[in-house]
Amino acid sequence: MRGYLLRRLPSALLVLLVASFAVFAVLRLVPGDPAAVLAGPDASAETEAAIRARLGLDEPLPAQYLRWLGDLLTGDLGPSYAIGGQTADLIGDGLGATVELTLGALLFVVVLGGAFGILGATSRNRWVSTAVRVLTTGALSVPPFVTGVLLVLLFSVLLGVLPPGGRVPLLTAPDLGVQYLLLPALCLALPSAAVLGRYLKDGIERALGEDYVRTATAAGIAPRRLLWRHALPNALPPVVTLLGMQTGNLLGGAVLVEAIFAWPGLGQLAEQALVRRDYPVVQDLLLLLVTVFVLVQLLTDLVHAWLDPRIRWE
Amino acid sequence: MTALTKAAPPLARRPRHPYRAALATGRGRTGLALVGLVVLAGLLAPLLSGHGPTDQSALTLAGPGTPGHPLGTDDLGRDLLSRLLHGIRADLGIIAVAVPLGALLGCLSALAAAAHPIADTVVQRAFDLILAFPGLILALAITAILGPGRLPVIAVITLAEIPVFGRLLRTGILVQRGREYVTAARVGGISGGRILTRHILPNAADPLVVQIAVSLTVAVFIEGAMSFLGVGVRPPEPTLGAVLSQAMPYLAQAPHFAVGPLVTVTALVLGLSLVAEALNREIRR
Repeated sequence: MRGYLLRRLPSALLVLLVASFAVFAVLRLVPGDPAAVLAGPDASAETEAAIRARLGLDEPLPAQYLRWLGDLLTGDLGPSYAIGGQTADLIGDGLGATVELTLGALLFVVVLGGAFGILGATSRNRWVSTAVRVLTTGALSVPPFVTGVLLVLLFSVLLGVLPPGGRVPLLTAPDLGVQYLLLPALCLALPSAAVLGRYLKDGIERALGEDYVRTATAAGIAPRRLLWRHALPNALPPVVTLLGMQTGNLLGGAVLVEAIFAWPGLGQLAEQALVRRDYPVVQDLLLLLVTVFVLVQLLTDLVHAWLDPRIRWE
Repeated sequence: MTALTKAAPPLARRPRHPYRAALATGRGRTGLALVGLVVLAGLLAPLLSGHGPTDQSALTLAGPGTPGHPLGTDDLGRDLLSRLLHGIRADLGIIAVAVPLGALLGCLSALAAAAHPIADTVVQRAFDLILAFPGLILALAITAILGPGRLPVIAVITLAEIPVFGRLLRTGILVQRGREYVTAARVGGISGGRILTRHILPNAADPLVVQIAVSLTVAVFIEGAMSFLGVGVRPPEPTLGAVLSQAMPYLAQAPHFAVGPLVTVTALVLGLSLVAEALNREIRR
């Protein structure tokens, strides 16, 4: 296991290094000089030069790049150019909101995906299995912005029970916060829940077809116990791996869901920072998101290798 | 005696091409019909709508069935039917360019990767790098360089599809290369290039065809998502995603604003998914 980690770690670090370089280079290609944007249209050339010097934009690019990497490693992100405040605070606030949304969605994924899988595999009722199939197919093929609008139409406009957007932090006001969290989390969770449900359904069906299940049935074990004690535990390991991969997707999808429901997370921050050409925030944010993504992938690979020894010796 | 004169059924009917068989199934037909309807609406947009998609009038947020505006008008008094139809047109224009382009570039890089181990490593790492950026973050970054508009949407979709098609074809080539018929062909003295084009590629093509249908749905998704993020096609030009995102603030007041694009996107995406599933089932048999 440690050998696998040692082999896998350098390539993850390399991807991160290249990504940091790509992020830095991309933002230098962006049209529009941030110093000119900050100084405003009427500013003199001296004011612009002063701003440029203050922000370190007059240094050669390699020096800027190295300084940025050094600042990242020491955790000193510095002030934002345009939005105001410290970059670290902005990212911290956004991260809190995005993590809250992602965790809420993850809960929905586990509950809904589990329900889809178990009901789909075991229900003898034709209506139930058809409903599960239609729901999972729909959740997989319809884009989140369509489900988002439908959810708002149903729960906010028609029923009037949940707010259509915005956020109240869960930790400051749990009862109100949950109301704001429910719709975006559900919208974000649906596609992943459908994928999870399908995997779980296949896994349970396969496990229920095994010989040991027939033996257990012959021995008089109740179907309910058979499902929960025998089939389900055997169907779970690949589903757990899948859940790891879906967590990465949830983080990526959060950017869109935040825009639909006006959820003030990292995606909204990225959008705002890009529009206002706030280099430090965009730079740090993009790299943070890529880092999280790479880490989740690495973790998933490790869990995979742990579950399936063949991968370790490849 | 009529029974005898009737021609006996031919012994071996030439099997239909699997793609045609797939599209003749219930799934395939429904999917084709849905996609066809949407495409037709987009193609006929200038004939079906009496107003320009950006013509404003004093009649704002009129309900459906208003004389002259069958679907009503939006917040700026623009005809919603016209915006919907021209939105479909814009979406189709984007995805019909971006997906084939991404597929082509992806396949070319897979071919390059198949040619040499070093090229293979380079191409693989490049794919990893693209995939390391969550899709919509990539969209934001590219729009930062190019500015909002039609071009960045096409660029994002193309870039997102390159590794998808590239990996698919690379795997296909690797699998087929190990098959015995390829070894046999090589022993038979057939050149490497001919083995690739005449033997390996036709056998590796099926998953790519399915992927095109899947990627078209992804493209509709990306266009809409970029409009919602405010980095898509520039207003006032309509796209499906743009009209829908403009309807968001008026959902309580004028829900009909959102209905057209909701139904259209759902029909288009569902139709494409059905076609993809029908093809996939037939190919796997």
